[in-house]
Amino acid sequence: MSDEEHQFESKADAGASKTYPQQAGTIRKGGYIVIKGRACKVVEVSTSKTGKHGHAKCHFVAIDIFNGKKLEDIVPSSHNCDVPHVTRTDYQLIDIAEDGFVSLLTDNGNTKDDLKLPTDETLLGQIKDGFADGKDLVVSVMSAMGEEQINALKDISK
Amino acid sequence: MHHGYHDNNEPDLAKLQATMQAIELACSSIQMHVNPAAAEATILSLCQSPQPYKACQFILDNSQVPNARFQAAAAIRDAAIREWGFLSAHDKIKLISYCLNYVMQHAHSQEGYVQAKVSSVATQLMKRGWLEFQATEKDAFFQEVRQAVIGSRGLHVQFIGITILESLVSEFAPSTSTAIGLPREFHEQCRTSLELNYLKTIYCWAQEAALSVTNNIVQSNSEILEVKVCTAALRLMLQILNWEFQYSTSAVESTKKSINVFSTGVRFDVNSAKRSEYALVQPGPSWRDVLIHSGHVGWLLSLYGALRLKFSNHGYWLDCPIAVSARKLIVQLCSLTGAVFPSDSGQTQNQHILQLLSGILQWIDPPDVVSNAIKCGRSESEMLDGCRALLSVASVTTPHVFDQLLKSVRPFGTITLLSTLMAEVLKDLMDTSTDEETWSWVARDILLDTWTTLLVPTDLTHPSMLLPPEGINAAANIFALIVESELKAASASVSSDEAEDYLQASISAMDERLCSYALIARAAVDVTVPLLTRLFTERFLRLHQNRGASDLTETLEELYSLLLIAGHVLSDEGQGETPLVPEAIQNHFVGLTEAEKHPVYILSSSIIKFAEQSLDSEMRASYFSPRLMEAIIWFLARWSSTYMMPNNEMNKGVKSKTVFESDLQPEQAGLVFLSLFGEHNQGKHILDIIVRIAMTTLVFYPGEKDLQALTCYQLLHGLVRRRNVSAQLVALESWGKLASTFIGDKNLFLLHAAHQRSLSQTLVLSASGMGNIEASNQYVRDLTHHMTNYLVEISGRSDLKNVSQQPDIILGVTCLLERLRGASSASEPRTQKAVFEMGFSVMNPIIILLEVYSNESTVIYLLIKFVVDWVDGQIIYLEAQETAIVINFCMRFLQLYSSYNIGKISLSLSRSLLSEANAEKYKDLRALLQLLSNLCSKDLVDFSSDSIEAHGTRISQVVYTGLQIVNPLITLDMLKYPKLCHDYFGLLSHLLEVYPEMLLELNAESFSHIRETLKFGLRHQDAEVVDMCLRALNALASYHFKETAAGKVGFGSHAAGYKDPNGKMQEGILSQFTQLLLQFLLFEDYSTDLVSSAADALLPLILCEHVLYQRLGNELIERQANPVLKSRLGNALHSLTSSNNLSFSLDRPNYQKFRKNLHNFLVEVRGFLRTM
Repeated sequence: MSDEEHQFESKADAGASKTYPQQAGTIRKGGYIVIKGRACKVVEVSTSKTGKHGHAKCHFVAIDIFNGKKLEDIVPSSHNCDVPHVTRTDYQLIDIAEDGFVSLLTDNGNTKDDLKLPTDETLLGQIKDGFADGKDLVVSVMSAMGEEQINALKDISK
Repeated sequence: MHHGYHDNNEPDLAKLQATMQAIELACSSIQMHVNPAAAEATILSLCQSPQPYKACQFILDNSQVPNARFQAAAAIRDAAIREWGFLSAHDKIKLISYCLNYVMQHAHSQEGYVQAKVSSVATQLMKRGWLEFQATEKDAFFQEVRQAVIGSRGLHVQFIGITILESLVSEFAPSTSTAIGLPREFHEQCRTSLELNYLKTIYCWAQEAALSVTNNIVQSNSEILEVKVCTAALRLMLQILNWEFQYSTSAVESTKKSINVFSTGVRFDVNSAKRSEYALVQPGPSWRDVLIHSGHVGWLLSLYGALRLKFSNHGYWLDCPIAVSARKLIVQLCSLTGAVFPSDSGQTQNQHILQLLSGILQWIDPPDVVSNAIKCGRSESEMLDGCRALLSVASVTTPHVFDQLLKSVRPFGTITLLSTLMAEVLKDLMDTSTDEETWSWVARDILLDTWTTLLVPTDLTHPSMLLPPEGINAAANIFALIVESELKAASASVSSDEAEDYLQASISAMDERLCSYALIARAAVDVTVPLLTRLFTERFLRLHQNRGASDLTETLEELYSLLLIAGHVLSDEGQGETPLVPEAIQNHFVGLTEAEKHPVYILSSSIIKFAEQSLDSEMRASYFSPRLMEAIIWFLARWSSTYMMPNNEMNKGVKSKTVFESDLQPEQAGLVFLSLFGEHNQGKHILDIIVRIAMTTLVFYPGEKDLQALTCYQLLHGLVRRRNVSAQLVALESWGKLASTFIGDKNLFLLHAAHQRSLSQTLVLSASGMGNIEASNQYVRDLTHHMTNYLVEISGRSDLKNVSQQPDIILGVTCLLERLRGASSASEPRTQKAVFEMGFSVMNPIIILLEVYSNESTVIYLLIKFVVDWVDGQIIYLEAQETAIVINFCMRFLQLYSSYNIGKISLSLSRSLLSEANAEKYKDLRALLQLLSNLCSKDLVDFSSDSIEAHGTRISQVVYTGLQIVNPLITLDMLKYPKLCHDYFGLLSHLLEVYPEMLLELNAESFSHIRETLKFGLRHQDAEVVDMCLRALNALASYHFKETAAGKVGFGSHAAGYKDPNGKMQEGILSQFTQLLLQFLLFEDYSTDLVSSAADALLPLILCEHVLYQRLGNELIERQANPVLKSRLGNALHSLTSSNNLSFSLDRPNYQKFRKNLHNFLVEVRGFLRTM
């Protein structure tokens, strides 16, 4: 097998512009990777060889950061993988609607109302109660490849 | 007099019946898996009920359900061990003799497991009372057993008698004994007593029993009951010979040994790890009559000989129990050594071994016949036992004696037999190349062990420790066969598509074998090294001639194997030390004056020449696969730590001590070639080649993580370990190129992050090779400049917030942080200044990045780890002012980390992402605790010129403030991570022991956090964690006690009680812990190892809270309804605080006394308190 690198054909979907190529060998546990067009967090990396005197391959086990599904991929470790550009933005929480949709205050003073708290009933109840009690809450919104989701919440009233 | 609490009325028959039925029902429902929890509860309640003996005996005597009888026996055992303290001596003996009679009477029983259980109950109770029973009581027990064993009550009872003894011996051997809630001293005392007074007698009884049935067995033609008895007797003898004899030498020495009850004395040379696996049998002179002079061996051999003739008969075969037991005993007798033989320079021992060998020979000689028989379907077990016997013999003899043994009965020596046997085995291995473990696999491993045992150098000054000449020839032949078989296996493995087999795994799997190979090769080094050279060169040529014409994978695989073997033969594993040239290589080739013709030189340089080919890009592309490169790098790393620019003085020094012809000059004695690898000869050139090969693997093998790991961790890291090599390295152009590539080349940023860290560390370490301190520091500055510059620059960017989360920026930042970590962990006094500057210049960027990446856990972890490593390397050297700067920085860092993370909850719905997030948090916290521990070390080791206290820095305060910041993040959930839990309680107990006064300066929240975590820790499963908590409690309470005794407030309001947030009055911290600890000690399960530390914690607590303690004691007594137990408890509580002249102080003797008191107290009362 030759050592020459060859690029994967670029995936021409909407997310492509939001990813960066990175050599598979440099991606580690805890980092991000695109598998089957989805932004994932790597939870396990192992290496193996193709045949006795072949080259190393990386075996990734990763979890879709939005829907939590497990995905796996095997890539020669000298080849490039797509790494998603994952950003997180903090917003002040200004309202929680009955259905779990929230109102967020953006930096420029507008509100953002298209996100829902992705959580189970008990936790949601606690958050609502806390909010009703006047706690200052900040939500952190994670976005990657054109998708976004609330992924963390922080009480800053203390 | 103790019958007061016995139920004196005749046991109610109906009630006993009911209990029996309940237990029977429970047993059968467990078997059928119907409501098992309830069934278990029923059985447990029998075990836990007070005085269940009547009921249990009733079940044993009457139940038709064997499982119920089994459970009843178990219940007797549990109850008696628990209630031992207040059973009368009479009751105890009665229980034991009940069990004994029971098994004897049911000797015909089919349910062996019930019998075994009841015998083991009898022996466990016997052991429990061993130190208190009168001699007459023990004698009565043994008399009873003896009557059974000699056969006066029939064969069935004879068998039972032997099994009782088996169970007794196994209870008294510490490694197989059952826990009975007593300290180890007790078990040791029992072991000693049995070994000195009974063990030999028991052995004789077993002998007698076996003898008594031998004739019948020999004359019978079918399986008879006697065989069962004989097998049991043989097993018992084997078990006794497996005993770890302690009192084997002389009376004087044995008293010396008895002081140290906690460690078994070192019984033989420890430098031979192999030997320890095959424990020698050293029973001492008192056993001479039984084992040597009684014709024991002769009887055993003739018994086995007779059995051998019967193998075709019905009921006997090669693997039938009696044959297996007899063979095992024969093998075990081969390991007999020490003072059991008279001191007649080994004559008696040699005769003994020779006699055994004469029997064993039939199992293995002639090897080809035996091997063919096995190939035709004969069982291999006899042959394997023969190999084991050779191993045992090798472990008790010198190579010379080993070889001589056979010469008196055969025309050849034992070593010749060993090597022909091994040759047969290897032939079979080559013929049957399957993955399964065949008999030849097992045999090869045993025989390799035998070689190792013979060849491991123990004392080379004595000629008898060296192999005789035929032995050396045999070793050379065997090595040639070994290499042949390994090469064959290697080329055969090409076709198998095992992809996972990478170097580290194959080395560690093969390592033991390779080490044995190396020992054999070194025994005949003048033949084997040239052989390796020849084989290697042949394959090397094959590559050259081929030049891409055909598939040479087989050759590559063979080269791979040869590299591993050659590496092992030429040098030893250093394990962090500098390994010397192996003694065998030092001692051979004496008188060889032409260095270039030295076989070791020739082999080394032909391998290096081969490795050099990998620098050629064409060659590399066609032959040097990552796997082959791994073997090359591994070889170069191992080879260079021994031979690269060797420290001649060291090798010579050892040389003159070991070689017995000490009048030889070192130069004459075969080390002349070493100078060729010195710095003034080819050393520099070879070093240059090695560095260039290393760089090749880093640049031209992208993504080959395993290969690059070997290069970074083993090869390069090993080179900079020695200063003289470093001095040459920094002068090399290729090393300079490596450094500049590291700084500027994109390729090296693609290395695995941990490899970059290691490379950075290695390069910084090589600075020690620079001529002076200034030059070393400048070297480090030049290396690290790019890292600090990048971080300063990026953290100053105005668009940082936007770009920081781009994957390429994250990759860059993580790489540089890893490199900074590597450089930090290379702190040495010489380069400390430059490394400090490096960290100092990125302090601000670190703070900025901590905020920007607060959601990017991987970066955050690296930031913490960098600070941890940097502080760890620097803190002890820092002057007061620098210390203040570093401490301020750390506090700011902790504060910021805490503010970004406190009160944050992850909302992800995916369970695995949540648990990932938790694991990341746990790793962060653990690193933060490490940071605090590192700061603590400033108070322990400090190389600075002035005291930091003078500048107003108090480490204790700093660390407590740090703890206050971190504490809220360490929730009880987080403490479920075992490592974090360990670190946290380790730090806490250290802090409380060293600076208890600082606890007062904590805020209420942190104080209660510490209190709650200590409570949590006390209930932890891990005994070590509990121990640390107990140490912390001891520190707390003794501080308070000493302070208040001196008229100060101690913990003041914390100790007196406080108001909780709801305004309710809460008890003081010390009284809470007094109650908790007493509760723990009296009612909960814990390892007896903890009792001492619990005593150390309880004593100061009682002294501080004596009123409370009185009250608790009284309550405990009041709760006790039974008047007898009540008075016992009262007395025990009284003597806990008064016996042994316990005083009211916290000095060492007093702690010791209290430990003893608490121990006695627990033995006295825990049994009945826990039943309630």
